[in-house]
Amino acid sequence: MDPLWNNIFRKKLDEESLSFFLKHLPIFSELSPRALSSLEKIVHVRNYKAHETIFEAGDPGSGMYMIRSGSVQIYAEDQNGVDEELARLNPGDFFGETTLTAPAPRSASARTLETTELVGLFRADIIELAERNPSVSSSILLGLTRVVSERLQAASHEIRRLRNQASIQISPENIET
Amino acid sequence: MNSPVQKPRGWSRAQVALAFLVLSAAIACGLAVYSSASSLIGLSRTAFSVLFLPLLFSLVLTFLLDPIVTQLEKLFSRTVGIFIVYILALGFVSLLILWITPHWQEFWRNMGTDFPRYTSQAIEGLKSIMASLHERLPFIEDYGFPLKVRSWAEQLMAAILAQTPQSAMKIGGLMVIVPLFTFFFLRDGRKIISACVSLAPNRHFEMAHDLSYLVSRQLSQFVRGRIIEAIIVGLVIAAGLSLTDIRYAPMLGIFAGVTNLIPYIGPIIGMIPGILIAFADLGAGAQFWWIVILYILVAQVLVDNFILIPVLISRVANLHPLLVFFAIIAGGKLYGVIGMIIGVPIVSVVKITLLEIRTYRRNFRLPESALESERPPLHVNRQ
Repeated sequence: MDPLWNNIFRKKLDEESLSFFLKHLPIFSELSPRALSSLEKIVHVRNYKAHETIFEAGDPGSGMYMIRSGSVQIYAEDQNGVDEELARLNPGDFFGETTLTAPAPRSASARTLETTELVGLFRADIIELAERNPSVSSSILLGLTRVVSERLQAASHEIRRLRNQASIQISPENIET
Repeated sequence: MNSPVQKPRGWSRAQVALAFLVLSAAIACGLAVYSSASSLIGLSRTAFSVLFLPLLFSLVLTFLLDPIVTQLEKLFSRTVGIFIVYILALGFVSLLILWITPHWQEFWRNMGTDFPRYTSQAIEGLKSIMASLHERLPFIEDYGFPLKVRSWAEQLMAAILAQTPQSAMKIGGLMVIVPLFTFFFLRDGRKIISACVSLAPNRHFEMAHDLSYLVSRQLSQFVRGRIIEAIIVGLVIAAGLSLTDIRYAPMLGIFAGVTNLIPYIGPIIGMIPGILIAFADLGAGAQFWWIVILYILVAQVLVDNFILIPVLISRVANLHPLLVFFAIIAGGKLYGVIGMIIGVPIVSVVKITLLEIRTYRRNFRLPESALESERPPLHVNRQ
């Protein structure tokens, strides 16, 4: 009897609740409480052991993962078949967001480094939410777009910086040295 | 060095007894597990056979009502939306019952007198055909077909009369159970599916989730399309028949609509009673030919094949005719008449699932191979 009533009536400690976690992610920081509660219903909480593969490059990608606890390594195989670490992600970080709206194979692999709890948000659920509740889904997607655009701007900035650096290196006086 | 070889030979009596006990315990355990497993399978089969029909009807009803509930969900909460749909459906069904009850009583009264008349007329027709056949091909023996047909028809009538109260009880039970199941499927269907999908191991979870979405979308479209198609065909036939003097027009429309769920064979079975009754009651006049044209040209060719199937049902779900026959025969063997009706849709459902999985895999293989071909220049650039 007890677990049932606990399940219904227990007020979750605010900090351990899923909506608390989601609200403190930069993507969802501007969501209304109503949008947050619908978001809470469509995400999937998955538990991983240490050194478990989340996905591999080339897998069909259909959504993004947010790290609730633990840490994740993003890596790719270089031409010699050796794994090359691209990034190491910690609680609050998220990855795979580019395949959320555009279906594409994963461009890199991901694995956990320790016992990890991930929160997955997938395209199918977003599409379904858009049919049921367009305003909520658009506010979720707006937050996502904002973060993705920020990353894109940072990336193009980085490309410009690298190109400038490269052109300085290739210029004649540098080649002779 | 010898001791390991020597040791088994020198087993003490206690060791032998222990080994015997362990072995017999293992065999007993195996037998117990086996018998309980087979009785468990038997139990679950019994439970399943009872639950099969209500579950099937509620699933179909869920597929039909889900779009309406989803539309209402934009205004109210989902539960309130379901209640609104239920109240509307209750009103509709009670109106239908009010309208049908007097017709239904009349129908049964007339059936009692008409059915023997139709069969005797059919037997007369058969007799004349046999006689003319005998004239032309005298070497054919008289198999007594008319007598066989008569006894078969009498058996059918007796079976219908005996089964009606029983099936009325069953239908009453369904009327209670199906709305209850449908309510929970409508309210928690998404949760149930996602709970099932979340059982998948981490590595395959994403694909399972994606596939379940794609497959359930295709399935709901298919089931909805089939049901709406059957309803419209039934309505067209009922309306077309009521323009003539034929009796039982609404019943014949319902019959044609239900049998229309079976591809290829269904429409033919659906038109047999109508054409027989028309021939017996109206003779081979203008109305008879209008009814034949209605069944074949208007309902099947024009409405079903030219309008409904292209609009409602994707060609993906088309089955090979041989597969259709297999499905009908196997379904009939398993669940009788209802099995014959649902066998084909179930096979289509399996086919849709397999196709959806294949297209999903293919879609993602293509860009991957493109990625592979792009890789070498990337490495050249890096070097």
